[in-house]
Amino acid sequence: MPDRPRPVDPLLPLKPKALHILLAVADGPRHGYGIMQEVAERTDGQVRLWPTALYGLLRELERLDLIAESAKRPAAEEDDERRRYFALTPRGKRVLDAEVRRLTAIVSHARASRALRKPHRA
Amino acid sequence: MKNDRVLRWCARSYARLLSVLRGRDREERQAIRDDGARLLASAHTQGHLTLAATWVALVWDLLVVGARHDLKQALRSLVRAPAVTVGMSVLLGLGVAATTTLFAFVDAVLLRPLPYDQPDRLVMIWEGNASQHRLREGPSPGNVLDWVGRNDAFEAITASMRVSATLRARDGGTPLTGAHVTRGFFDVYRRQPWLGRTFQADEYDGAVSMTSRLPAHGEPVVVLSHQLWQALGADPQLVGETVDLEGRHRRVLGVMPADFAVPDAEAKFWAPWDIRESYRGPRFPDGPPRDFRFLRVAGRMRAGLSIQGAEARMRTLASDLEAEHPETNAGWSVQLFPLADEIARSSRLELLIVFSAMFCLLLLLCANVASLAIARGVSRTREIAIRLALGAGGSRIRRQLIAESALSAIVTIGIALLLTAWSVGVAVSLAPDGIPRLHEVAMNARVVSFAALLAVFVVGIGSAVPTLRASRPQIAGALRDGAAISASTSGRLRARLVVAEIAAAVLLLVGAGLLARTYAELRRVDVGFDRSNLLVVRVTPDASRYRTNAQTIEYYRQVLDSLRTVPAIASVAAVTALPMSTIGADFDRPYWPEDARPEGPRAGQASIRMATPEYFGTLGRAVIAGREFTDRDAFGAPRVVVVNEELATMAWGTENPIGRRLILDYQQGPYPYEVVGIVRDARYKGPRSEAAPEIFIPHAQNPYLVMNVIARTTTDPLAVAQTARAAVLRVAPDQPVHSITTMDRLLGDAVQQDRFSLLLISLFAVAGLVTAAAGVYALLAYLVVQRRREIALRMALGASPRRVATSIVVESLVLASVGGTIGIVGAAVGARFARTLLFGVAPEDPVTFVTAVAVLLLVVLAASWLPARRAALINPARAMKS
Repeated sequence: MPDRPRPVDPLLPLKPKALHILLAVADGPRHGYGIMQEVAERTDGQVRLWPTALYGLLRELERLDLIAESAKRPAAEEDDERRRYFALTPRGKRVLDAEVRRLTAIVSHARASRALRKPHRA
Repeated sequence: MKNDRVLRWCARSYARLLSVLRGRDREERQAIRDDGARLLASAHTQGHLTLAATWVALVWDLLVVGARHDLKQALRSLVRAPAVTVGMSVLLGLGVAATTTLFAFVDAVLLRPLPYDQPDRLVMIWEGNASQHRLREGPSPGNVLDWVGRNDAFEAITASMRVSATLRARDGGTPLTGAHVTRGFFDVYRRQPWLGRTFQADEYDGAVSMTSRLPAHGEPVVVLSHQLWQALGADPQLVGETVDLEGRHRRVLGVMPADFAVPDAEAKFWAPWDIRESYRGPRFPDGPPRDFRFLRVAGRMRAGLSIQGAEARMRTLASDLEAEHPETNAGWSVQLFPLADEIARSSRLELLIVFSAMFCLLLLLCANVASLAIARGVSRTREIAIRLALGAGGSRIRRQLIAESALSAIVTIGIALLLTAWSVGVAVSLAPDGIPRLHEVAMNARVVSFAALLAVFVVGIGSAVPTLRASRPQIAGALRDGAAISASTSGRLRARLVVAEIAAAVLLLVGAGLLARTYAELRRVDVGFDRSNLLVVRVTPDASRYRTNAQTIEYYRQVLDSLRTVPAIASVAAVTALPMSTIGADFDRPYWPEDARPEGPRAGQASIRMATPEYFGTLGRAVIAGREFTDRDAFGAPRVVVVNEELATMAWGTENPIGRRLILDYQQGPYPYEVVGIVRDARYKGPRSEAAPEIFIPHAQNPYLVMNVIARTTTDPLAVAQTARAAVLRVAPDQPVHSITTMDRLLGDAVQQDRFSLLLISLFAVAGLVTAAAGVYALLAYLVVQRRREIALRMALGASPRRVATSIVVESLVLASVGGTIGIVGAAVGARFARTLLFGVAPEDPVTFVTAVAVLLLVVLAASWLPARRAALINPARAMKS
């Protein structure tokens, strides 16, 4: 049977932290500590992931087939051999796209709102 | 360097904590550990704060996020069996709240350091004379001055003396209690004022006591208590202004913090006092007296000196003084006690007993909850065994059970904290006034931590341990029908718990019984006078207004005459020191019979009291021989005294003392007085006190300004109070009445603490009895259900229902006799320790013990009645089939 794409809608909206993880691995495989740093950096330290929570989420995302352990590893000099690297799966990519589309729609809706455009009503 | 150790410690502890997450695979745990260590290391480079914050975040992440799954499971099982779990938590929460409330008292009164700088260096100093059996006497002014000047053990020594004074404001006068303090007072206690400043050294010089008729040097000054400052409007501008205290304007220098309670919480102000100034002139040719022992003296020991060391040095000084002044100081030495012990002394024993009783009750509660948990554990054995058989890991199940216990601990802590926050306030308002440092009793971090720890502890023994025991079932045995094996072992454990409950209940019952008999004795004991229908009006006129003896005598003549016009008053009189009243001068002086001058300084001491005519008649104190004072015993008339039986026997044995002369070393030195009457002994300081030698002097011959006026009324004395107050004010409208009360109330106040202890212990005893009864009932009911088939079989084989019921009752009696015996032994030992609390009843009082056992047996029998009946009503045919 051809591998028909499973619907992604039931997974949306993503938990904020899950979204951050998917974004962090979207550019290429990363290990756990790398994800923590990447997320902290992108959000100016606003969102911090701590190890237990992070690996719990990674496991959940793996189970949902949104990420997978990656065989592709960075260049030898940057590689940390003991670590597991995680990468986005095709399904993970679709879910991320869908989530980003959903968020974009919300944002543009918000931008169109008069209340937000004119914050200083008399 | 040190920080690296901190970092290593964090990393190691984190790795250890990780074992909590046993459910995750090794690789993942490894990853979590490595990442945690990296985060710590990188945070470390950014300073302590970041490291600490990271560490907290990591631990939270590990324990809360990581354990979430177990908590979820626990919540689910909590919802499944809400009544039992919540019920247990509520019960334990109640127990913890009650115990914590008492702990708040124990903590404030006994454990917490005094609110002064380096409080362990503060001691109280007393004089003691072993050969005269007089210990802990307030030191004399002369000796204190020598101690201050010549000691090498203290940084500072201060003497203080309570004083009653009237504060005048626009809305009339308010009587207040304060303290006169000598130089060094604020150096001893080292407490900064809350506002303004305390006295400077020169402000002590020449300061006479407030009630003195001597002229003062310099401007009178005063430091107020926080409470008085608030009563005066809490205006910071008050510092620097003057207040009218005891007829004189005194400048307010400062306000002390709210918890500064020296010598006790009653003190509303502090005024400087120069001992030398008070004992000048022809009356005191040798300066401040050495045989006039009444001061309250505290000192701050030099740093590094132990109390034994300081005491040794002070004793050397005391023996020097003994050699220099043999006539007054022979045999007198010095005793030192830690200030904290002195303050707690009056209620230490009561508090500890009430606290232990509460702890006893809490253990009872734990036992009952444990019993419940065991029963529940048995019913869960099958569930757990099935899960084990299906392959669940033992640690997995244990973790779930721990999570359940943690959850019930949290519920218990929540309930306990809420209830304690409420009950501490209530308890403080109900507590008797005598408890020292009562104003420090409050909900604080220590009390909250105690509640939390205690909750964890009781949940531990009350539910976690029994539950965990149940988590190790033998699968095969547990799955077999009836779960017979674990049920019978847990039955034995529960029986032991019930025995412990019964023992504790007996202990509490005996305690309550002994205190109840003590209280009854205290109320019944003959105090030596008629306590009913006696109004007590305490009057403290201003010393600055009544400067001469003639003025004082005239004032009291008018006050008594004015009171005599009140219709409901049958007779009136006045005295300096009235039994149970804290107002008025009360002191001891040496005396001896005229014909038997003692060798050296071995004269006996008697309490000296000034009384007006009709005093003994009004008080209802019988005059055994001779007469009481009359108007003829006036100023300038021959000097006469009335003595009590105790003194008459000590001085003259069986001979008749009337008409004999007695030498009293008082004021102008030894002087003879004629004994004109003997009165019955009285218990002056409350029902517990014993009679001491007393000498009464006619008030007119030695006038005093502060007096207790008593009036024998023909109706309820309180109904006359307002008329009496008006009658006193008629004489001098600007001289307020200090307070009005009745003798019955004063006597009631004297046993207030006894009443409070009795109330608490009785409550505990009732609660303990109910708990024990519930325990007996639950165990027997459980056994009846467990043995249903066995009972049915016996009945089928011919046992009568009566016999079956009897066997159940016998079971309860076995429990009661074992528990009762343990309880009685415990009570007999405990009562010995509490001996000083008892009065008129022996610690091994058989009536109390027998009553306690009888009550317990009745309750146990009542508790076993229902299970026995249920056993007797078992239908053999149906029971065998099920």
